[in-house]
Amino acid sequence: MLTPIRGFAALSGAARVALAVLAAIAIVAAFAPLVAPYDPAAQPDIVGAKNLPPSAQHPFGTDPYSRDVLSRVIYGARLSLAIGFLATMVSLTLGVAYGAVAGYAGGFVDALMMRILDALLAIPRLLLLIAILAAWTRLSVGALVLFLGLTGWFGLSRIVRGQVLALTEAEFITSARALGASRRRILARHLLPNLISPIAVAATLGVAHVIVLEVGLSYLGIGVAQPEASWGNIIHDGSDQVATLWWMSLFPGLLMVLTVMMLNIVGESLRDAYDRR
Amino acid sequence: MIDTSAPLLSVRNLKKSFPIKKGVFGRQVGAVQAVNDVSFDVAPGETLGIVGESGGGKTTAGRAILRLIEPTSGSIKFEGRDVCALDTRGLRAIRREMQIIFQDPVSSLNPRMTIGAIIREGLIIHKLAQGAAADARVKQLLEEVGLRKEYATRYPHEFSGGQRQRIGVARALSVEPKLIICDEPVSALDVSVQAQVINLLQDLQRERNLTYMFIAHDLSVVEHIANRVAVMYLGKIVELATSEDLYREPLMPYTQALLSAVPVADPAARKERIILQGDVPSPANPPSGCVFHPRCHHPAKDEACSRIVPPLEEKAPGHLAACIKQPPTIVSWEQQQQAGGVRPPERYLPIAAVH
Repeated sequence: MLTPIRGFAALSGAARVALAVLAAIAIVAAFAPLVAPYDPAAQPDIVGAKNLPPSAQHPFGTDPYSRDVLSRVIYGARLSLAIGFLATMVSLTLGVAYGAVAGYAGGFVDALMMRILDALLAIPRLLLLIAILAAWTRLSVGALVLFLGLTGWFGLSRIVRGQVLALTEAEFITSARALGASRRRILARHLLPNLISPIAVAATLGVAHVIVLEVGLSYLGIGVAQPEASWGNIIHDGSDQVATLWWMSLFPGLLMVLTVMMLNIVGESLRDAYDRR
Repeated sequence: MIDTSAPLLSVRNLKKSFPIKKGVFGRQVGAVQAVNDVSFDVAPGETLGIVGESGGGKTTAGRAILRLIEPTSGSIKFEGRDVCALDTRGLRAIRREMQIIFQDPVSSLNPRMTIGAIIREGLIIHKLAQGAAADARVKQLLEEVGLRKEYATRYPHEFSGGQRQRIGVARALSVEPKLIICDEPVSALDVSVQAQVINLLQDLQRERNLTYMFIAHDLSVVEHIANRVAVMYLGKIVELATSEDLYREPLMPYTQALLSAVPVADPAARKERIILQGDVPSPANPPSGCVFHPRCHHPAKDEACSRIVPPLEEKAPGHLAACIKQPPTIVSWEQQQQAGGVRPPERYLPIAAVH
């Protein structure tokens, strides 16, 4: 089995750099209270300190409420990354369970489950989320994670089902049965280890996707609610004056692009590493 | 050392059909007769070759014997024990004695397990060895199949097709089986490697007194290793004889066609090529009467062939074939005439004694 350490060794050079960048972002986000120069919600001078361009005092400038954008971006990283990670966990659990059941059961159950999935896949995710989230005026972050997770498992369950189907046809599974292996043994030793790689790839790319989604939703004003900071709602705060308050969309936007790019590089490299047999 | 007094494996009237389902609700619209009424014995120490084109039911028959596929009907007896009647526990016990080697050296080894873990698995499942004893056994098995014992810590993708096939052999041997079903074990290998693997199988058979069921679509491979050969076509055995008899005097026109396609390493040897017309018919809709009649080249072929199902009968001592046009036959000429036959049975041996 490919252990995490072996997995790292198999990654390309670019992916290792990407992983280091991601780790740096995650560490900064985790230690936000120690790293951030200001309280992200503090409004020291709503008149005098609002809409300040980047300076030595405020490297990323301030927003229309005189809050320090750098501090908000750092705290925002916390939320954006956490939402991406947790929502993907939710989708992963649902997707793997649904796909594995369909693939393993086969026949009528499989056909029915796949038709349901076809119907779900036909609904645009962003539109569905807007429709759901717009029903709340103040949505808790937990609920946001849940909804993002609940709408993100369709594609993954397809992948898992396909993989399970392919694996049950594989001769090494037949061979394990011929050796007298129990169902549990086949599941644990032969099926699951071979599912982990495609799941890991899908999960990595899934986190990136959820981060973009969250930023999009918060930008529309239906994601993370104020005064909590997320990359999306920082951009939202400056959205009516993008040309003048350029720092408000540039810095969180750049960070989002950087994070998503790094995640994609890691995901692609993982795929290459697993496909190389 | 072939002991013909009591068969190790005895298969009677084995049938396996796969339903053809259509539509959302999986309505059954037909069935594929993959294995259709197959009977044979395998004596201890013997190698029974099973040959035929793809889709002939060879692989299905092999897997049904191991109950990797549930047979539709028929009986399978291994050392007198009824394999079909076994419960999970009994099945596990008997699988120690019957093993299988697969065709595809790529998909037959779990890519996430080391070679050592792959070979160990059987030892652990059947509690044959543990810990250091199991490690020692794995190394011993690796050396027995001609691989280095250091390979135990490596992964399957590091090996060539021939090496992978040796690993598959070691895995099968780990539980010390009596019977090994070799399901086209060399079909995916280069010719030079084929010979090595076949030699290995023969050496192991001699050392361990193994019994083989050797499935292949290549007659020249089987000629080497098999004592007796069964030829399958569309789920049925159409000829069964010692390999000597079969290669010297093939009776069933299908076997004749297969044999005429085997290249002979003698440029001076001139022989007639029988080119089979068309493809194997769909096993979902097999031809009536003799399943081979649409492609048959026997000069006495007539209406009777499409009406009468030919019995697998003894044409010469120990030489069974299913053809009503190769005498002797229990289907009398009168019966054949009643079924529309116009040409009496007549020996037809277009490629006899070439080998």
